[in-house]
Order: sequence, then structure tokens, then C-alpha cells
Amino acid sequence: MSMTLYHGEPNGPSFTVLAALFEKGLQADLVRIDLAAGARHGLPCAQQAEVAMSVEGEGPVLVVDGEGMTDSVFIACYLDDVGNGAPLRPSGPYDRWETMAWCRQMIERTAPAAAFLGCKAHPPMADPRLLANVGSVDLRWRWEAIGAGVFADDMLADSRRKIAAAVEKIEAKLVGRDWLMGEFTIADLESYAWLAGMAGLVPKAYAGKVRTAAWMDRIKGRSAVGRALSLATVADPTAYWVPGPEINRWG
Amino acid sequence: MGDVALYHWEPNANSGKPMLTLMEKGVAFDSHYVDLLNFDQHRPDYLAINPQGTIPVMKHGDLVLTESTAIMEYVDEAFPGPKLMPDNPRDRWRIRWWMKFMDQWLAPSFSMIGWSVFVGPAVRSKDPEELKAAIERIPLPERRVAWRKAIYGLFGDDEMKESQRRVAVGIGMLEKALSKRTWLASDQYSLADANGFNLAYALPLSQPSLSNDALTPNIMRWLRSIYARPATKACWATGRTDMVKRVAILEQPHIGREHVP
Repeated sequence: MSMTLYHGEPNGPSFTVLAALFEKGLQADLVRIDLAAGARHGLPCAQQAEVAMSVEGEGPVLVVDGEGMTDSVFIACYLDDVGNGAPLRPSGPYDRWETMAWCRQMIERTAPAAAFLGCKAHPPMADPRLLANVGSVDLRWRWEAIGAGVFADDMLADSRRKIAAAVEKIEAKLVGRDWLMGEFTIADLESYAWLAGMAGLVPKAYAGKVRTAAWMDRIKGRSAVGRALSLATVADPTAYWVPGPEINRWG
Repeated sequence: MGDVALYHWEPNANSGKPMLTLMEKGVAFDSHYVDLLNFDQHRPDYLAINPQGTIPVMKHGDLVLTESTAIMEYVDEAFPGPKLMPDNPRDRWRIRWWMKFMDQWLAPSFSMIGWSVFVGPAVRSKDPEELKAAIERIPLPERRVAWRKAIYGLFGDDEMKESQRRVAVGIGMLEKALSKRTWLASDQYSLADANGFNLAYALPLSQPSLSNDALTPNIMRWLRSIYARPATKACWATGRTDMVKRVAILEQPHIGREHVP
């Protein structure tokens, strides 16, 4: 089985997938693409439904036997299934439930907020020719809003609140443990992926959060994570942002 | 009964996902009906179980589980019975992808339309002061906004139009996926099908101009196949509202263009 991973800078969902790949000791053809230019929409698999309509927005794409796979948490679950390294999910059903439920809240509430704030601070510059291929109408609207500099104040404030809530939750979860689920899991990778770049943008949320700071250092100290971060082609990959999941439009 | 208890509303959307999964697996459970239309989910006894005030919640012994799709995976892993996740890792990825797509992108649009035409009108006749107090008790700010819109009919034209656009796109995607394989995300019946049925069981009634045997034959085949399963029949038979009883449309052998009102 050969795999090709099209990825951006090691931040957000690209970070999760690259780190999971290396944690599991897997080999893949690594192809860096400029997600911030809209390069994903020029890939041969760009119009496959699971690529074009990925809820995650501009995330990495793992291609296996011609099928483009998106959504970083689920790609990481796949890599966990096929790889040989230490498990990235707990073995018991309840602990696995907690891991998936944690990730669900992270991708539904934290990720849209982080991508929104990240794109406001570090706007991606899309190539208009590539954006013409964007299959998801609402994703194209998000690109257009970023291009026009439209960031509503109430959404910015709500996004900051969601980042603060996520950091609070992490700080509370880390009492008496090194990793969010007790053992190192995809929940650590996905949470770090979206929150590493928020420390500079929402500093108040991180003030006094000593357990969170130590946890971030522990993650950065892992060899697989170091390998993922070494693929950065920019000085600070946590300042590299692309349109992410949309902020909930209903309920 | 046993040590499993499910706090749920109707076999529909989020409540129906764990209900149907438990029934498919043959897991007996204590059913606790939480009447969404009576705001039971925001009362202190329910908030003591789930402080977020969302439905459903499952208890397994001393364990308390929320997030309906994550509960589905738990039920499949924790109990014996037919496996609802295939062995193939790529199939499992595809099943999760479709469940997320439906949960986060498609279902909110179905839900907005459903709350506009069913949930809002169903509660609107209650005492205005009682409704106001009910809204104030909702723990999550975004749910307060949702209920306010439903109760007072505050949906904007643009957001309803966008929901209808997404429903049309989603129906097209489901039809295309189901033209490639028997089931939505793999070659065997899976959690993605149970999830999807909760979203789409009334499609030929709610979206008659977009889904019927002429326009979406694969969706209709899929819905009827799921409804023919004993677990689905038993699950939907527990429904109390007219909304859920719409599932009977699937007993009709043919729903053509003439069905369009």
C-alpha cells in the first residue's frame, strides 16, 4: 500500500496528521502544498466529495489507492489502525469514547474559532485561479470574506471566548496527569494543533495556565512531533493559517 | 432492567442515533423519554445528568456518555451483537467522514427547517411567560439563540435559503454515494447508515421536489432497506409525535413525481 500525504505547514490539521504519521512509524510520500494559496483545489482528487466537501476546510489530504481522505482526526484514526507504533487511542471503549467526544468538541467548537482568529491575524493569500475550483460554495465564501477582510466583531469575541474555554478545559483535565486522556492520544495532537498558535493571539486565555504550558512543552518534546515541526518552511508555522471549519450556523 | 439507560427524545436526529444503534446490537436499555417540546432537558433533574442540557445521554453502569455519534461508536465497541463498523480501516475512516459531514454540515440545515416548521409551532401556544423562563434556563448560549428563533419565528430569509441550498447539495451527494455502493460508506450496513436514516427518513415528505423514486432512486432504495430492518421498525414504533410517524411514507412501494404537492 502506498500513501501520499499532501500537507501544509505543520499547524492545525496538517500538524495532527504529520505527527500521527510519524508517531505510528509509517511511510508516506510527503508532498508539501501551499494550502494558504488554495493549492488543495488543484489536486487530482480535489473534486472527490470527501475532499471537496470536507467540513475541516483547508486541511491535508491523504491519498490511498486513489481515494482522497480528509478530516485530520479521522485520518489519524486510520493511521492508528494501519500503523505499528504505540496506539494513539486508548484500548477500552469508554476511554475511546472520551477521546472521540473530546475531539468532536475540539473540531466543532475550538477549531472554527482558532481558524477564524488565525486568518484574521495572518490572512492567507489565495491564488484566484485555484479558488475558482473550490467545490464547496460555503468554503469559497469563507475565502472571499478573508480576502475582503470581513471579520465581524461579535464573531471575533465569541471565538476568543471559545479559545479561553478550551484552554480552561485542558488545564482542568491535566490535573494529576501528563496527557489529556491519561495516556498520549490523538486528543493531545488535535488539541495542540489548534491551540499552539493561539497563545500569541489570545494571551489572556493562557495566563497562569501552568499545566497547559508544561503539556505543550511535553508535546513539542516528542520525537515524532519534532520531526513534523522540522518540515516547516516558514520561521513560525503556528502563524500559518488557512480557512478552517465554519463557525456553527445553527444551534 | 440492565445497567444501560438512555435519556432521549424521539427516534429522530441525535436521539435516534444511539436508540437505533442499541436496538441493532440487541442491547436492552431503560428508556427515559425526555420531552424536548416540554423543555424537560433544561430542568434541574436532567441538568444534574448532563449540565449542557443536550439530548441524548447514555448511562452504562456508573459511566455517563454524551455526544450522540461518539455514543454510537461506544455502543458498537462495548456490546456484543452485529458489528456496525467494518474491519477495513479505510471503510471506518469513510464512515466517520460521512457521520461528521451529516452531523456538522447537513443536519443543521435539516434541523433549521424542521425547527421552523415543527418544533417552533409545536411550543408556540404555551404561556409566553413560561416560554421566556424556559429560554432563560438553557445552559448553552447557542441553544438559547436557536430556541428563541424557533419559538418566535425569527429565521431570516437568507439563512433559510442557505439551509435549503445545503439540503439540495446534500441530497445530491447522498444519491451519488449510494449509486456507488449498497450502503452509504461501506459495503456493509454501518453506523453511517443508522446516522443517515435519522437525518433522512422523511425525505420524500419533507423534500418532495428533491427526493422521490424518480429523482433519487438510490436514496429511496436505501431508506426502504433500512426501514425494513426489524430494529428500525421497532425503534420508530416508539415515536410519539406526528413528525416521527412520517416514516410510514417508506411503506409506499413507489413515490413518484406525482407525489409533489
